[in-house]
Amino acid sequence: MRHAWRDGAFTAAVGLGDSPTINVTMGRCVGGSSVLTGGVCFRIPGAVLHEWQRDLGLEEYSEEGLEPYVSHVERTIHVEEVPVAMRSRSTSLFVEGAEQLGVPMKPIRRNTKNCNGCGRCNFGCPHGAKMSVDLSYLPRAVTGGASVWSHALVERVMTRNGRAVGVVGRILNRDGAAPGDLLEVRARRVVIAAGGWHTPLILQRSGLGHPRWVGRQMTLHPGFRVLGRFARPVRGWVGALQSAYTDAFERERITLMGLFVPPGVLGATMPGVGAEHVAAASHIDHLAMFGGIIHDSGGGSVYRGPGREPVVTYRMAPEDRAKIPRVIALLAETFFAAGAEEVFIPVLGMRGLDADAFRQMDFSRVPASRIECASQHPLGSARMGCSRENSVVDPEGRVWGVQDLYIADGSVLPTSLGVNPQLSIMTVATRIAWRMRDRHLPPID
Amino acid sequence: MSDSHRVFVSDGVRGGRGFSRGVRRAVFSLAEVLFARETGAPPADRLLWLVDDLDDFFAHAGMRSWAVFLACLTTIELVAPLMIWRLCRFSNLSMADRFNSLRRFEESSLGLAFFGAKAALCIVWYEHPEAAREVGFDALSLSEPA
Repeated sequence: MRHAWRDGAFTAAVGLGDSPTINVTMGRCVGGSSVLTGGVCFRIPGAVLHEWQRDLGLEEYSEEGLEPYVSHVERTIHVEEVPVAMRSRSTSLFVEGAEQLGVPMKPIRRNTKNCNGCGRCNFGCPHGAKMSVDLSYLPRAVTGGASVWSHALVERVMTRNGRAVGVVGRILNRDGAAPGDLLEVRARRVVIAAGGWHTPLILQRSGLGHPRWVGRQMTLHPGFRVLGRFARPVRGWVGALQSAYTDAFERERITLMGLFVPPGVLGATMPGVGAEHVAAASHIDHLAMFGGIIHDSGGGSVYRGPGREPVVTYRMAPEDRAKIPRVIALLAETFFAAGAEEVFIPVLGMRGLDADAFRQMDFSRVPASRIECASQHPLGSARMGCSRENSVVDPEGRVWGVQDLYIADGSVLPTSLGVNPQLSIMTVATRIAWRMRDRHLPPID
Repeated sequence: MSDSHRVFVSDGVRGGRGFSRGVRRAVFSLAEVLFARETGAPPADRLLWLVDDLDDFFAHAGMRSWAVFLACLTTIELVAPLMIWRLCRFSNLSMADRFNSLRRFEESSLGLAFFGAKAALCIVWYEHPEAAREVGFDALSLSEPA
């Protein structure tokens, strides 16, 4: 966690108004966040593509139009369905509860090959079974002549006569160079793929892109977890970290998703101090976990901070804020249906609640400042659109008003998806890359 | 693909950031209460290990996470005693007073500050093999198929 996660996983979007502060976890390693995800792969939902076409004029972003790209990515990163036999007991219990309530659950697809279900996905697969970018795309790029520089911070894009001609930054750590040494790369084309937090930061430092949209309207998929404590041991860390989900509540813009976290993080969520905390933590092998994400409508803003990292705020839309109690109730009731003795809901300091206590609780009165919320999906901070008046890049990923500057990461997705975006980001990036490849390379400046 | 494709690149950090004596004391006194059992505080050597490893954690995690943790720790150090109407530093309180002040602090509107510090301490604390065993984390899954 201290090595591969940005800020040791202490990164946060500061909640404004009636919004919880959201812990946003990201990778800080070669391969980026793909090294640390649970490997979950979803195609861009048809309803989302329809929205992009209808509201944003992104006509070519249809299921048929994206098929060649998504198929290629799925083959490259080896997307496969998680077999039921690999489900953790934690997930199986939730599925049992969902069946009791008549909620259909579906298997998750992940980018894995020979996964043995050791449940360590969030720290980089120890067996090299997750086909993250460092194992799938980068070796191919290196074979094709690419050079990969880690510990190199890009600060801004160099432009000349309205054209991107390279990047400037600093060396953070590298043999033969001192930390802080200038890094300058000249290029005939520049592609930024620094993610939802850092891509807008680079644009802002460079004075590029429409200021109305760069770093604005970022969506996060605010996520909430509920733990169910069962009488019998669960050992939720054995088995695939993420293996089942349900989109039965997508009409409410809610998706429920299996997950698990390491014992240290579980321990932190156990309420109380001293003997009470230790006693609660001593039962983590009896805990099952499931999460829910809100298909949010934006509200995140990225600003230049005093150091090299941005300052990020998030003002949750009232309609999204109103969904938090619903997400918690869906998760908790499913665990009770599966036989949980008590649940731990994401409210700071809240003790375990049995079914009666939970149903008597008025969750809508809990202030946002006490709600525990996490996200792994910052999207849309350099959104794509058909007009420079309402977006940062065009449908081909080109930054409006700057020649030969592209963005190819999650920041271009113009809305949230309601599902994990890894495959969607790769699909859009592949489309941008293939279209770029087909264009004449500009001469060396 | 095999693991041979992975190349470890050091982040250049060696050892800890070098917690000051005050920070070490504040972390120690917080952990002493947070992880206390019915029988009393955890062994001192385990607490010292925690302080040292937390130092290493933030040395690698970076300045920003360190600043967040320090803000949380400072808030606890200065504000938590006020929860029991005491005007002093948290680390100067008796163990019983620290316990009472933290319980109230956790449920207050400043609970997020406690959660931030608690998260950092727990992440490191439960990485210790003995702590992992105590909470039933057998880690067999690291080497055995599910």
